[in-house]
Amino acid sequence: MEQLTQFSATELARMIAGLIGVIALVSVNALFLIWMERKVAAHMQLRPGPMEVGPHGAIQTIADAVKLLGKELITPEEVDRPIYLLAPIVVFLPVLLCFLVVPFSQSLIIRDMNVGIVLILAFSTLTVLAILMGGWASNNKYAVFGAFRSVAQNIAYEIPLLLTVMSIILMVGSFRLTDIVAAQSRYWYIFVQPLAFILYIICATAETNRTPFDLPEAESELVAGFHTEYSGMRFALFFLAEYTNMFIVSAVGAVLFLGGWRGPILPGIFWFLIKVYALIFLIMWFRWTFPRVRFDQLITFAWKILIPLAFANLLITALVLKL
Amino acid sequence: MLEPGIEEKTFVLNLGPQHPSTHGVLRILLEMDGEYIAKADPVIGYGHRGHEHMAENRNYLQFLPNMGRVDYLHALAYNQCWCMAVEKLLGITVPERAEFIRVITNELNRITSHLLWFGAYLMDLGAFTPFLYCFDDREHILDLLDRVTGSRLTYCYYRFGGVPSDIDREFIDGCFAFIDRFRSRWKDYDNLVTKNVIFINRTKGVGIITPEMALKYGITGPNLRGSGIPYDIRKSEPYSAYPLFNFEIPIGENGDIFDRYVVRLAEMEQSLRIVEQALVKLPNGPIMAEKVPKRIKPPAGEVYQAVETARGEFGIYIVSQGEVKPYRVKLRVPSFATLSFFPEMAKDNLVADAVANLGSIDVVIPEIDR
Amino acid sequence: MIIPLLKGLATTLKACFSKPITLQYPEVKRPVAPRFRGHPELVINDDGDRRCVACTLCMVVCPSNAIRGIEAAEGENHEKYPVAFTIDLTRCIFCGFCQEACPKAAIKLNNLYELAQYDKSRLILDIDKATQEKSQLRMADWL
Repeated sequence: MEQLTQFSATELARMIAGLIGVIALVSVNALFLIWMERKVAAHMQLRPGPMEVGPHGAIQTIADAVKLLGKELITPEEVDRPIYLLAPIVVFLPVLLCFLVVPFSQSLIIRDMNVGIVLILAFSTLTVLAILMGGWASNNKYAVFGAFRSVAQNIAYEIPLLLTVMSIILMVGSFRLTDIVAAQSRYWYIFVQPLAFILYIICATAETNRTPFDLPEAESELVAGFHTEYSGMRFALFFLAEYTNMFIVSAVGAVLFLGGWRGPILPGIFWFLIKVYALIFLIMWFRWTFPRVRFDQLITFAWKILIPLAFANLLITALVLKL
Repeated sequence: MLEPGIEEKTFVLNLGPQHPSTHGVLRILLEMDGEYIAKADPVIGYGHRGHEHMAENRNYLQFLPNMGRVDYLHALAYNQCWCMAVEKLLGITVPERAEFIRVITNELNRITSHLLWFGAYLMDLGAFTPFLYCFDDREHILDLLDRVTGSRLTYCYYRFGGVPSDIDREFIDGCFAFIDRFRSRWKDYDNLVTKNVIFINRTKGVGIITPEMALKYGITGPNLRGSGIPYDIRKSEPYSAYPLFNFEIPIGENGDIFDRYVVRLAEMEQSLRIVEQALVKLPNGPIMAEKVPKRIKPPAGEVYQAVETARGEFGIYIVSQGEVKPYRVKLRVPSFATLSFFPEMAKDNLVADAVANLGSIDVVIPEIDR
Repeated sequence: MIIPLLKGLATTLKACFSKPITLQYPEVKRPVAPRFRGHPELVINDDGDRRCVACTLCMVVCPSNAIRGIEAAEGENHEKYPVAFTIDLTRCIFCGFCQEACPKAAIKLNNLYELAQYDKSRLILDIDKATQEKSQLRMADWL
């Protein structure tokens, strides 16, 4: 009995520390990523990007966040109030929960669960629900379009995503993220599973609603898509969730294909962050290079090309492992 | 919302007047069946300024700046059209050097217009970066035109009987430098856009204008040439110094968005060729006709003058009654004809295609509203 | 199919390492060509007098009625000069016709292109503000 209370006390402290750490990480990460996105976009477009606030505009996003905090929260009259108000929270919570199992380094992990990867995939799916809630409750035609597109797109891309992840799981034989990293002690899986990596990046781009797959918020078609009617901090929460989602998919990508925290000299956490931000840069790079695909082409691409490819990859992996 | 028990298959979506991709104050009422468009209905007139009526209330010279504001993207062609129409009424011949200068500046202006279309169109398709590259190139032309005309957008440069100020050596050198620079950029544009599989999928076989339909609706310019009809006023009714230069009329085959895109890109190349030839052949001489009256008071009569702008055939019809002010001016604008075809193009297509189509026909809304 | 996509990526990456072409606008102003048509202003001679003889040709030619209220007075030697002259920058379309119409080269379009003001009345220039010497509105100190 005594042992149990002691156990839960340390566990509680660990949880609280983890929560604080995660919230801090999420906000700092989002602020950094928005700044990074602006800079990446700017330099690819022969611009310097934000330069005014702070050195090289480093605290521009903080200024923007403060501005958003100070803005009036407009609730349009025709909205479905409870759902409308709930959506920004629902979009944000599952993203936070995903951090529960992300292994930043050998020891820096809140909970090393044996179903880690399944947990992340399960929680990230909830984002779709929030987008659907937000789009539907807004009672705006553009928002509904965005929400419907989002649902169709996420369902279509979840399948190849799961299949590619499965091929890695087959090789490792465990859902535990630390096990996956440990299995890559000799070589990274990107070298044995290059197709899986490409498929994963494509699906991750689609999952995070980024160009060329940013159909739910395609601004030249749908104005702002599902968050057309959101303003101020509610809009900021959607935005925050999007960037945190990018971090999550890149973190999973780093764990699955790039050997997680493994690397010479530097401590694990640095290697992990370097890999994550490299993947994020890749996703940003796509956004500022490619035009947007059309909706029906997007779905066709998922069902007719990605899913068969992912299946083939899974089968080949299974066959090779069996032999 | 709907009463219970009542079924409605379609709903109305308001595209504009404040939509990111209508390029101005155009409003399109889309009757949607899911993501498909059952009916499209453009509502125009938000940018109406009454140019034709303004012409009746001011003298011939005073109406000249208006022309640059009808279509602000290819202002010089509109300037030229007005000047040529009035010159026709007055019976003035423009000196050759002035005609050459008009052609050079006009073609440079055509490139800026096509470049802006190129960038803005890619933005409609969701690619932001080409837009900035185009504006980088466009800025070089604007600097050149600024040097000659004294303005960067609403040039108001030509005058009845010629041009008010000559071009200088620096401008000519700048033009050659720009031509070299711009030709070296084709590779980047090809890599970034033309060969991009996403772009090809979005544009090939989409928004087809058949030659019959194009003729029926009176579509002109690159939109018509994209459908394979080689009609260009610069060739079919040569004006100014155009007959002196070698250039081709690029045409497409299928009349889809991709063909119109290719035609516009090829036209920029042809414009470069014209500018190059004109700069080499540039004759010396006066830039202003000698017998231009101080007070423009053309004899009674009617005149129609058409020019090839970046958007197609632009025509001016003037009725003069021998007064200092025109009695009636009618502007025939290419964008109006093109936009009237839009409902046929958009029908039974996705809303994403509607945006792609609307961008591809390159309409300038103030020109339609006038 | 894949190679053009990679080439596109290479193009944007190349741009990443080239120098930005942006001018940091309010701090760095774009230089304009000598012929640039900015705000109209009245030119003064070396002796400090306005060249304008209040002939009102500019007022007549102006397409948008931006020049108005020219009042002439007569000096000792029967030379005319303006005592009132209004240039309305809210109406001006910077066509340069006034400059061309002027027989004395007394009105000129300068190199200012900024028009943003908190108070619209500041854009309606009376004879003092419209005069070259008094205005001295060269780029930087316009605001």
